[in-house]
Amino acid sequence: MNYWSEFKKGIWAKNPILVIGIGMCPTLAVSTSVSNAFWMTLATTFVLTGSNLIVSLVKGFVPDHIRMPIFISIIATFVTVVELMLNAFQPGVFKALGIFIPLIVVNCIILGRAEEFASKNGIITSMLDGLGMGLGFGLTLSALAFVRESLGANKLFGLTLIPGMQPSTAMILAPGAFFTLGLMLWGMNVINSRKG
Amino acid sequence: MNTIIKPTLILTAVAFTAAFVLSHVEKITYPNILKQKKEKQDKALLLILPGYKIIKENKTEIDHAEFHYWIGEKEVEGKPVKAYAFIAASAGYGGPVESIVGVDEHNRILGISILNQTETPGLGARCMEIASQNTLFGKLMGVENGDDGNLSPWFQEQFSGLSLDSGINILKKGDWSPAMKNELMERNAITSITGATITGRAVIRSLDSGFIKLQKALSVELNSAGGQK
Amino acid sequence: MEIKILLGILISTIFINNYVLSQMLGLCPFLGVSKKLDSALGMGLAVIFVMVMASFFTYLIYKFILIPYDIVYLSTISFILVIAALVQLVEMVIQKVSPSLYQALGIFLPLITTNCAVLGVALLNINSGFITSKMGLLESMVQGLGAGLGFTLALLLMAGIRERLELADIPKNLKGLPITFITAGLLALAFLGFSGMKI
Repeated sequence: MNYWSEFKKGIWAKNPILVIGIGMCPTLAVSTSVSNAFWMTLATTFVLTGSNLIVSLVKGFVPDHIRMPIFISIIATFVTVVELMLNAFQPGVFKALGIFIPLIVVNCIILGRAEEFASKNGIITSMLDGLGMGLGFGLTLSALAFVRESLGANKLFGLTLIPGMQPSTAMILAPGAFFTLGLMLWGMNVINSRKG
Repeated sequence: MNTIIKPTLILTAVAFTAAFVLSHVEKITYPNILKQKKEKQDKALLLILPGYKIIKENKTEIDHAEFHYWIGEKEVEGKPVKAYAFIAASAGYGGPVESIVGVDEHNRILGISILNQTETPGLGARCMEIASQNTLFGKLMGVENGDDGNLSPWFQEQFSGLSLDSGINILKKGDWSPAMKNELMERNAITSITGATITGRAVIRSLDSGFIKLQKALSVELNSAGGQK
Repeated sequence: MEIKILLGILISTIFINNYVLSQMLGLCPFLGVSKKLDSALGMGLAVIFVMVMASFFTYLIYKFILIPYDIVYLSTISFILVIAALVQLVEMVIQKVSPSLYQALGIFLPLITTNCAVLGVALLNINSGFITSKMGLLESMVQGLGAGLGFTLALLLMAGIRERLELADIPKNLKGLPITFITAGLLALAFLGFSGMKI
């Protein structure tokens, strides 16, 4: 199997948010600043890669009809590790991301990839799939955050952009999230229809 | 029977492994987490009781809830002057907003430091925002307009000097700027965060209720000390 | 006095802090099931039930097991397993009681487990400090009820609009998810009007 293509597909062709359409909750809620997007991507990719690895390792031993609770337990363990690590070593990030750290457990991307891919594929490819999907997730998240933080708070990376300008706060709240993602999806459709 | 026993055993095994792994990770991270919390509190105490030496720390129960307070003392012109600090919390928009507050003997706020809040980013959460003088463009060009390291969030700074004897008012004048200082002092008021008055009200409410509890706690101390100060 | 507090929790979770349109939780089913009004209603009711029961059980587990034994760090994993078990139960009940609803909801029924809003409300109950309050259990369940009602409300609003959108002439590239998100954004904008409402 081509390792590079397994990794690459998560970034554009099978981008989890823009193409498959999963993992929306954290996407919209955490894209309020580029720094949040960065740390969330790191945390999610860690959990995704780790759980894909373990699921792929134990796939022979897991009875089919209880696979869901077992996958969930594996994912929840990784998420709790991330929770504890962030709380201990990056308390600022822990506060900023809030409940969305434990909510990584129910990020459809992770359970989805465990079910769709890791339970049916080898260890290395599963890990690559996890890394690629995480990166795709992160790029989308960062793009959203870039738009929302600059328009909604007149900042990027916590630093002011245009001094004295009143930002459009709705962008940093729910409506902004929905609009930006909707426009991004529209953009993707336009690009794809021009290609084909 | 086998269709129930085997899955149950496997699930139990998975649960035990998870708990085992997590308890070890927790043991590693726990001391750090505790240390962070204490450091944050100590740093905040230093900020709101500047120059005072902590002579007493107490956790007591007032009105069926835990009340944590400190008594500080320092010498001013040869005479001992006291100040008090306490932890106050009240419900904000997204959950309780917890602050540590310092007051002097004349019931004036020496300073507040918000310890915990879960307000909306971009709105209530701006209570933790530092009015940085630096812009992104500036940073990229290597221009620094001042050290942000010692700045404290404007929303919290503006409480310093206000009196707890009379109620604190909220004025909606937009983000704080030095030009507002005189008017705010005169009217014993703060300016709220645009679109997030609730956070300001929560802090004021917590200050009022915390202050009442402080007075109760101090009178309990006076009584138990047999009237001796 | 107690009723006033509970009513306050209910109103704030349904309108002011609506889980879907304000806190952006529970989006996957929101987008997936909101195509038809009746399946939206069925999903909404299932979610309300799961949320109330989840609030009940997770509160008890947190207060009487996790805190006393000092294993609070196991809350994420124990909460999600409780929710998974509850969803399994609801699945079995719906399959027996209304097979047609079971068919209509399809994959989205077991997906209630991964609905961020359900785990979200369990976690938010803890964050709201209900543990220390006298009526904590009741307050948590009311917040669960409110979250479910708010979710259902958003779902129904969306389904109503989407049924109409099916008949509208939408530009090709906006069809499907893009226009749905923009609609959701407009709904969220409308609900922003509730924020700052004093109860």
